[in-house]
Amino acid sequence: MTQTGKPCAPRQLSLGVSLNDDATFDNFYAPDDSANAQVLALLREQVNGGAEWFVYLWGASGVGLTHLLQAGCHRAQAAGLSVQYLPLAELVGFAPSDLLDGLEQVDYVCIDALQAVAGRPDWDEALFHFYNRMRDAGGRLLVAAVQGPQELPVGLADLRSRLQWGVTCQVQPLTDEQKCAALMRRAHARGLELSEEVAHYIIQRVPRDMNELFCYLQRLDHASLAEQRRLTIPFVKKALNL
Amino acid sequence: MVLPASVWKSCVSNLQEELPSQQFNTWIRPLRIDDSAESGVLRLLAPNRFVCDWVAEKFLHRIQEMALQLQPQGGLEVQVGISHGPQRAAPAFKRPAAQPRAAAPAPVPVPEKPREAPPISGYGQTAAVAEELNGQLGFDQGGQGSAIEVEGGLKHKDHLNRSFTFASFVEGKANQLGLAAARQVAENPGGAYNPLFIYGGVGLGKTHLMQAVGNALLEKNPNAKVIYLHSERFVADMVKALQLNAINDFKRYYRSVDALLIDDIQFFAGKERSQEEFFHTFNALLEGGQQIILTCDRYPKEIKGLEERLKSRFGWGLTVAVEPPELETRVAILMKKAAQAHIDLPPDAAFFIAQRIRSNVRELEGALKRVVANAQFTARKIDVELVREALKDLLALQDKQVGIDNIQRVVAEYYKIKINDLLSKRRSRSVARPRQVAMALAKELTNHSLPEIGEAFGGRDHTTVLHACRKIKELQEESADIREDMKNLLRSLTT
Repeated sequence: MTQTGKPCAPRQLSLGVSLNDDATFDNFYAPDDSANAQVLALLREQVNGGAEWFVYLWGASGVGLTHLLQAGCHRAQAAGLSVQYLPLAELVGFAPSDLLDGLEQVDYVCIDALQAVAGRPDWDEALFHFYNRMRDAGGRLLVAAVQGPQELPVGLADLRSRLQWGVTCQVQPLTDEQKCAALMRRAHARGLELSEEVAHYIIQRVPRDMNELFCYLQRLDHASLAEQRRLTIPFVKKALNL
Repeated sequence: MVLPASVWKSCVSNLQEELPSQQFNTWIRPLRIDDSAESGVLRLLAPNRFVCDWVAEKFLHRIQEMALQLQPQGGLEVQVGISHGPQRAAPAFKRPAAQPRAAAPAPVPVPEKPREAPPISGYGQTAAVAEELNGQLGFDQGGQGSAIEVEGGLKHKDHLNRSFTFASFVEGKANQLGLAAARQVAENPGGAYNPLFIYGGVGLGKTHLMQAVGNALLEKNPNAKVIYLHSERFVADMVKALQLNAINDFKRYYRSVDALLIDDIQFFAGKERSQEEFFHTFNALLEGGQQIILTCDRYPKEIKGLEERLKSRFGWGLTVAVEPPELETRVAILMKKAAQAHIDLPPDAAFFIAQRIRSNVRELEGALKRVVANAQFTARKIDVELVREALKDLLALQDKQVGIDNIQRVVAEYYKIKINDLLSKRRSRSVARPRQVAMALAKELTNHSLPEIGEAFGGRDHTTVLHACRKIKELQEESADIREDMKNLLRSLTT
């Protein structure tokens, strides 16, 4: 496959799906040598046309699967590839053929939340055929789900064995220490100074799902800007009603 | 005096009980009795030389024995020969292949001159229709190495994966029959083994075998028109051709090939119009001596939603099964894949992976890819330690899935007894044997110690577990039933 994208309609618009600009590989927190750093390396290689065309990611809610898929789309778009991001949890009302027919013409396809449709016969068969077409077309496919291919309740054995055929990686949840580090790094990227002490204070008092933590950070960012205050414990306590 | 037909009926029923179903389906089921045989002879007709030779070598003696038992007064001689295909002379095939056939009733009317059909979505001219076909029906404009010109200027693209060759196929007990048949077809396409029907579970190498034949045919004759496609594509092409009023081009395209390879034909189920079209294509190819190879996830007769006439035609050539590879073959597959990718995979690491991944070759390849990715990222050499680390999610999951609880549940369900019976002190055969089977499976599939296994089976001693494991090993050698039970249980616990 060449690096030149194939002509493709902007499907995001027609499906009402848009990418979050903040989702990039660079701002996905993964300590050096960690399993998640390995996932990042693998995904970068996949976009660059490296060894593996099909990657299956799985992990618990909040580990950053959506972030990684959307980051992959951004990176692929920047490389001149045509891309499609399909969050199945939001698209479950569509007929599978409406979403998947002809999709193999796209260079890089990311399918998020496979668990939303797995086990539905029409979806299983449509995904199976799509996988075959995508493979034949020489495209790149990135799939994410909350369970690995063995556990996902797929009904069609042909689909399950294909989901097991690529590189399968579990995205690991961060420890509390790593979550603090991730929060501080994201704050820094926003131009905020968040000390380790304050990061710990937040982590111990709010839900520790990374999506939630980043939402709290966004609230703090707005509050800090509005009141022209630094992120101290008293300010955070007041701003977040803790 | 019992009639040969009745003797044969009883033999079939006995053989069905004696043989594993795949062997029965492959060798016994296709045999037909020759009604014109002289008195005192039970002559069986095999669809081709391959089946005939195999039956003569492996089963004839047993069939003769059975015939003798059923007719103790003797005198019934059993013979096996080759059928000369009276079925193929059926009226449906008398039309000359070269003449285009009238299309069967179609949802979209086919005008006499389809290329002058009214414009559809802007495709109103002959050239435009051809161009649309070229783009959408897999007909290529050329320029690629694998495109071959055929009548009318349209070109075939074979869609073969060049890496699926006989040389890259790993032979094992489970697939040696399929491999032998595929080689025969590659040697003599359009001959006696037409169609070649390969069936078996997912990820066992059906597509590889089928494409290996295609690649071998192209190697022998680079101008051969070999087409590989998934059944879905056949359906999609047909639908598109109907929409574009180009069904005659579709027919001409698929009937002009030297070999047509269609994968996963179970997906034709319920698609009546496609079956109709495929039926005619099938007949035309067979009549023209062009090779057909089909794969499916099950034996033809077991495909629901497929027309009977197609099922019966699928059985005209040779039907072979591929089964899950045994441990040694799994190791060999891993070593071969690693060698192909220029990766140094030590045998003990390959063994470690193969022992734990049993279901199919795709999962095995997936596991190897994961190990390789891990080795590259960490810049370490592959060894058992690295494999254990790289596959820890998978291995932990397997331990979780194949726990003793799970084994007890599956075994109890299989033998239709209660889990409590397995744990009880009862020693009647109907309970003791399943209990021993479950203990042997627990030793093989989990990492629990013998005392732990004994404890989980109602607080038994570890020597009881040891005895159970030895007993089941012995029984597997002696009894086909226990062998079959263990095979079925292993399959349901590990896939």
